Amino acid sequence: MKHGFVIDLDRCIGCKGCQVACKQENGVALGANRTLVRTVGPMGSYPDVQMYFLPTPCQQCADPPCVQVCPTGACWQNREEGVVLIDREQCIGCRSCGEACPYQANTFNQELRVMDKCDTCIAARAQGELPACVRNCAGGALRFGDLDDPESEVSRLLASVPAEKVHSLRDFGNGPSIRYILRRDKWVDALPQELETAKGGRNG
Amino acid sequence: MQANTFSQAEFLAAAGIGGLCPAQDDTPAFAALEGEGRAGADETRIVKTCCRACIANCGVLATVRNGRVVKLQGNPEDPMSKGRMCAKGLSGIQALYHPNRNKYPLIRAGERGENKWRRASWDEALEYIAKGLMKVREQYGAEAVACSTGGGGNPEIWSIARFCNIFGTPNWFEPGCAQCYLPRVLAYTMMYGGVDPSIADSNALELYFPDETPIKTLVLWGTAPSYSCPASGGGMVSDLRAKGVKTVVVDPRMTPDAAKSDVWLPIRPGSDVALMLAWIRYILEHKLFDRDFVRKWTNLPYLVDVESKMLLRAEKSQDPDEPDTFVVWDQKTAGPRPLPYPWDDALDPALEGTFTVDGRRCKTGFQLLWERVQAYTLEKAAELCWLDAERIERAIRLFTDNSPSGLAIGVATDQGANSVQAAMAAATIDLLMGNVERPGALLQRFRTSGLFDMPNYPVPIAARMLPEEQLKKRLGANEHKGLHIWFAGHPSSIRDAMITGKPYPVKAWIDRSGNKLGAVADSQSWLPAIENMDLIVHMYTTPTSFSAYADVLLPAEEWLETDMMVETCNKLFARQAATHLWETMDETLFWSRLAKKCAELGHERCRLAFDPEFMGKDLAYWDSMDEFFTHFTSRIGLTWKQFKEKAPFEYLPRDQWRSYYVYRQTDPKTGKPGGFATPSKKLELYLESMITLSRTGKPFSLYELPPASRDYDPLPYYFEPYESPIASTELAKEYPLVLTSGRVPFYHHGTLRNIPWLREIYPAPELWIHPTAAGQCGVADGDWVWVASQRGRTQAIARVTEGINPGTVCMERFWNPEKLNTPTHGWREMNVNMLTKADAPFNDVVGTYTLRGFLVKVTKAEGPPEGVWLKPEDFKPWLPQPTEPTPEVRV
Repeated sequence: MKHGFVIDLDRCIGCKGCQVACKQENGVALGANRTLVRTVGPMGSYPDVQMYFLPTPCQQCADPPCVQVCPTGACWQNREEGVVLIDREQCIGCRSCGEACPYQANTFNQELRVMDKCDTCIAARAQGELPACVRNCAGGALRFGDLDDPESEVSRLLASVPAEKVHSLRDFGNGPSIRYILRRDKWVDALPQELETAKGGRNG
Repeated sequence: MQANTFSQAEFLAAAGIGGLCPAQDDTPAFAALEGEGRAGADETRIVKTCCRACIANCGVLATVRNGRVVKLQGNPEDPMSKGRMCAKGLSGIQALYHPNRNKYPLIRAGERGENKWRRASWDEALEYIAKGLMKVREQYGAEAVACSTGGGGNPEIWSIARFCNIFGTPNWFEPGCAQCYLPRVLAYTMMYGGVDPSIADSNALELYFPDETPIKTLVLWGTAPSYSCPASGGGMVSDLRAKGVKTVVVDPRMTPDAAKSDVWLPIRPGSDVALMLAWIRYILEHKLFDRDFVRKWTNLPYLVDVESKMLLRAEKSQDPDEPDTFVVWDQKTAGPRPLPYPWDDALDPALEGTFTVDGRRCKTGFQLLWERVQAYTLEKAAELCWLDAERIERAIRLFTDNSPSGLAIGVATDQGANSVQAAMAAATIDLLMGNVERPGALLQRFRTSGLFDMPNYPVPIAARMLPEEQLKKRLGANEHKGLHIWFAGHPSSIRDAMITGKPYPVKAWIDRSGNKLGAVADSQSWLPAIENMDLIVHMYTTPTSFSAYADVLLPAEEWLETDMMVETCNKLFARQAATHLWETMDETLFWSRLAKKCAELGHERCRLAFDPEFMGKDLAYWDSMDEFFTHFTSRIGLTWKQFKEKAPFEYLPRDQWRSYYVYRQTDPKTGKPGGFATPSKKLELYLESMITLSRTGKPFSLYELPPASRDYDPLPYYFEPYESPIASTELAKEYPLVLTSGRVPFYHHGTLRNIPWLREIYPAPELWIHPTAAGQCGVADGDWVWVASQRGRTQAIARVTEGINPGTVCMERFWNPEKLNTPTHGWREMNVNMLTKADAPFNDVVGTYTLRGFLVKVTKAEGPPEGVWLKPEDFKPWLPQPTEPTPEVRV
């Protein structure tokens, strides 16, 4: 039972509601972000340009480098679902996991002096809710479900799209699990930290 | 009124607007909000309410734990937002528990602008204001009182118009109004008689059922639903695109909707009408319009007297249920014939042509429309609008050939002197295609709940309470009579009266809104007006720059503290208070309390306004919001309390609610099709009523008014913006770029600039600029820049992008609440309205001033304005302050 995100980029309108939903749900500190919506483009020459948005939470890797480098065992992978979690009690704020992550997805909580990251709202899901970002996604871009179940919504969505339209972030052997669907625009193989955050926001 | 007890600490917090509370601890804010320290049972409840962070009213589930709101999420029962919520709405908790909320009424204790205050009871504050108003009324007349609203998140606008009518002043105004939505409401009301297709105003409801609507092409003209209303309209357009609906986006900026469109037309701001006229010309020239529909259901075959510009009438109707009988040119008999409503198969009315009838030269409306658009070839439009002709043609062809289609016109064209013409031209494009009341069309008259007597908001305005001689004093509204559709005055004319005392003095100003100085055009030009006021009252949820100039500051409720009836498609929702804090008051109730005070001080009409018998359908003033809403909900047998418990619920099944082809339905009074809600019952593409409006104020003014200086035009026409880059003037050389503006998804108008979650995302306004222009200005991506117009200058951060028309720049509105307690009060640093234009030329019909489509220059700045907050941690002082609920204020 592998749960994960499938993100339909044709539906992402860059509104960043997911960032705020995440902050509310998880009490993420100012300056820290468990997810960021990036802008890819505009590329090309006016007026023939392409632009799309890329939400970049933790990729919930099959073989997560952050877990490997954590000196205290605070960063760990839950075996049932493969979700990568951080135990705040164990975290010493050394930021090794942030440096090990090829996507710089882990974020430092200045207030608590610990690392923070997307946990797919595992606590809320235990109460039967969807992750906050998925639940509130204005464009209906963010989907979450059981990727091992061929009948789940996410599996059926993936099956409905030709394989060449399904992408993932560059794989360094860590096996990023998020699947991005992009049908019309040309996929750009860029790492999140190389991209700007969505238009209308320089920092968050 | 509760006891006026407060601690020294509370008093000090109240005694400086925007006085910064000690920094709250950051992360534990939510745990603290949950009120863990409270004695008693642990109680959690979900309140089904509706957001008001903008005007979309999205359904919300608010989790309230021990009296404190701890979580917000979308309500999936909402047919428009479908359980989604955007960044603005999700920030509701940070707005509600903001440490700088206006908590109690405050009365100025020092010099105006000195920012010294003392706490007052509501009773004292109301008495202070009422006495001030009565004094101004006695000295100068009731018209010397102006009331205003706007600036975002308006809970209810008619309550202000109502108070003004009852008090006796014709002068309420909004910086929106003629600059936002009114031009579209006016044009679609007059030409069609149904609801306009503005997505950001929660219309175009046909589109919210993507599995059912047959629409194939959607044109988004000057509208960006992904910015203005992400959770409702933004999601809806996403759903439609996913289903295969094609989109055309007309916008100088590569918005998210433009990025995902099939054809993007990055138009020069202010030139939209030229492009629309070219669309009309192309559609007529290539005979792409629905000829049969145009002949039978529009007034374009009717003959117009070229001299008088009025339609020929064979007979004026004496029966209010029957329209006048108009004259067509019958091709069978080659002569003029009366066309009995709705149609006569024996006649063959000509669409095109010039004829002589009884010695008078006449043309069909169609002929006049054709002559009007004739100059606007694709090439001409391409030149005027800075577009590519082939691309324009591709957009038109998609719209005409891949149908059903529809055109959603947004706020962009409302913000310049072409405002009403743009709305008329947009309506013309859709109506020529027959895109009305058929499945897939945006223009519909779906059934309504019947709970609202007024459009969108429930408060009856009591228009008859304003005496005729007072109505005639409405500032700027004789020249711009279209303002009477919303009973509103003309902002620039009111400002001028405030400054010059002409045509009469205006000496008191009550404003409920976000930052007035962030919202009005040419902000700095309002300072002399402010200085001339005998009384300024500002009511809002938090202090704004405008508060610094006020004599009385009143604490308004946040949306999580308020009640409102909300109609969403075929369902009724309730916004209902999730909590109540401090001594805040519902804004709709405030005006009732103020009227009561004025009545006590001897204002006769205010006294009558509390008499149910006298007020009748206009409703006597209410002592509570419960009482007010129950008046309406009793129509369906519910008290407001019962309504809130039941909501949301369907008032009609969806298929009955969605009534297509209303115009074809038989009117039992006449036995004929009911037609459209216009004087002729036809779609009035030749808008003769514009002439009547300009001469008399009919149909919107209750009393006949003297004529405007010239007739309004029955057909749309293009007016090159006053500050034009086309003409090679000295001005265009000095200010070479055309500025446009527009929303980002994090703020509604002037709101929410004090919300940590949103400011850390968007701390300062961006100036979008094309690389070529940036190179010419010596500006690089990320640079701080000065943006200057003839009127002033302000700062922004350059965003160098290929996603904008190279001759254009775009800057979002902004102001800086962190600078309230400084000499600038935060409204000059990053305020696009330091640049905008509040003087003539105005739109003739409604007086629109120029917020977009004027000339600016951009230069590199040394750095950010002094003292502005930019880093996420800067916003810590604004993190939520745990606050216990309080009872509602009773006055």
